[in-house]
Amino acid sequence: MRKIILVFCSMLLFFTYVAPFILPGDAGAVTLEEAISQAAKGTEKGYINPDAQKGYLGIPGGPKVNPFIGLLWAVWVGWIFSTVGAFGGIMAGVGHMTVYGLGAYANTFKTTAPDLNKFITDSIRVSNQWLVGLSALVSSINYHRQKRLVPALGVFLGMGALFATLLVVFTTAGKIRFSQYQGWFGLCVFVIGGFMVYEMTPKGQASKKAAQAAAKAFEETAKTKGRIEDQGVETLKWSLIKTEISFFGQTFSFSPIWAFVGGFFISALASFLGVGGGFLYVPFLTSVVGLPMFVVAGTSALSVLIGMIFAIFNFMILKGVMVHWPLIGIELIGIFIGSMIGPRTGKYIPAKVLKGIFIVLALYIGLRYTLRGFFGIQML
Amino acid sequence: MAGIYHTLTLQADSFLIAFYRITGYSLLDYFIGTMFVAFLCVTIGELSVSLAIRFNKRYLDSMAKEIDDKEMLALTAYQAGDKDSYRSLNKEATDAWGKQFFTMAAYSAGILWPIPFALGWMQTRFSGVEFELAFPFSLIFGKSVGYIFTFIPIYILCRILFKYMRPHLPYFKGIQIFLNSRDTKESH
Repeated sequence: MRKIILVFCSMLLFFTYVAPFILPGDAGAVTLEEAISQAAKGTEKGYINPDAQKGYLGIPGGPKVNPFIGLLWAVWVGWIFSTVGAFGGIMAGVGHMTVYGLGAYANTFKTTAPDLNKFITDSIRVSNQWLVGLSALVSSINYHRQKRLVPALGVFLGMGALFATLLVVFTTAGKIRFSQYQGWFGLCVFVIGGFMVYEMTPKGQASKKAAQAAAKAFEETAKTKGRIEDQGVETLKWSLIKTEISFFGQTFSFSPIWAFVGGFFISALASFLGVGGGFLYVPFLTSVVGLPMFVVAGTSALSVLIGMIFAIFNFMILKGVMVHWPLIGIELIGIFIGSMIGPRTGKYIPAKVLKGIFIVLALYIGLRYTLRGFFGIQML
Repeated sequence: MAGIYHTLTLQADSFLIAFYRITGYSLLDYFIGTMFVAFLCVTIGELSVSLAIRFNKRYLDSMAKEIDDKEMLALTAYQAGDKDSYRSLNKEATDAWGKQFFTMAAYSAGILWPIPFALGWMQTRFSGVEFELAFPFSLIFGKSVGYIFTFIPIYILCRILFKYMRPHLPYFKGIQIFLNSRDTKESH
């Protein structure tokens, strides 16, 4: 354990001191005031009218997001969180980009004020991260109490997350146009929709049937076991190639290098898009790395939290990206209300119907954003 | 609704700024006032999430039980050497966990929602205020930081303080007893 802490602290110091110097300077990020002053002045779309009333982020003539619409959409997001799960983050992103009109507003500055276009895009990205990234806060504390945190796993996931967020922030802050962001977001949603479609096919359902059969076979034996929480996780052996942990009398192994690689790519995606971290870590660790869920759940939640804190911190503190605080606050209230309503309505809507609705939504959003963002094709 | 929000912000401003004018020493007053704002955020957040816990207790318990049962089944399959069953059951447990994770995400919103409003208000008052950083922090965070950088650690300290105060506060004392009884039930 001491060796792990020593390696982690050394690498953390290395990355935080050296990374900003070896990575591209400020990635061209400008402050909001600079972006507004550099923008062309006028009253048409894509121009800044200095005499207009201030709207989003305090930009003269910027859109005024209707708080009621923000609240309603966030209730929808919270409802999805508590009934289906992961798709809520995508809907939060759709809200920022399309429903509130921020994406369309950013796009008007594509040629007339590119810096302002990129600044608003970064603001949308960080807004997504605020809503989705802090999700792990409560979970992480609970898992620590239940002795489910695996230090070696968390350290390497965290290092991957740290390196990825530094890389993403310092190479993309102030550099990404809204159309590019929209295209990548759409592609990610499309891929997720594809996975959801696969799960509904007979091959995808085969795993569920196998689980049902296995559950019947092991149900009686499982009842005779003690509480999982009574055991706790213990690290037996540690090396970069293979780390062994013991849990409930069983030994499991994983490669810290794979954990680092997974942490890096998942965190890079989450830092870039603002979605994807929360629901990718655990499936990656259970399916690719092969660890049991009860071991990775808490550690993954902590990694999501650390990754998002780094990303938000780097974007906002180091790069000066701003978010519209009242909008974030109203959205958090809406998500909370939606999550309270979700369990009450879930029993009236079959899971398959819900999944079907979200598959259609994912394919529509994915296709529309990808075509719009990358090719400028407006569909439906 | 935007008008209501603006009116509420103005009214809150006259209340909150009073805590930044206690001693007359600007830096000390800033930290006292920010600590008060942070503590207010903690208290309001705890109040709202306690409503969620009371409102959806049965649902939360059923989710936790589903995950426990599926985890135990997967472990039993692993112990028996049935790798295929272990993988299938592990996936089921993962799916159940995913649902709980995002439900807790939404409940986190119940704890954290006052923070953006507090930061939004602080932006109107302190957006131009910079705090110089000494070496070696200046290498990581830059030569100076703003109100967000000072608010977050103070908020975290307030959360820790509230944790110790909770068993002695009215209403929250009841929530603490409720949470403790759940922890005791789960460990048996």
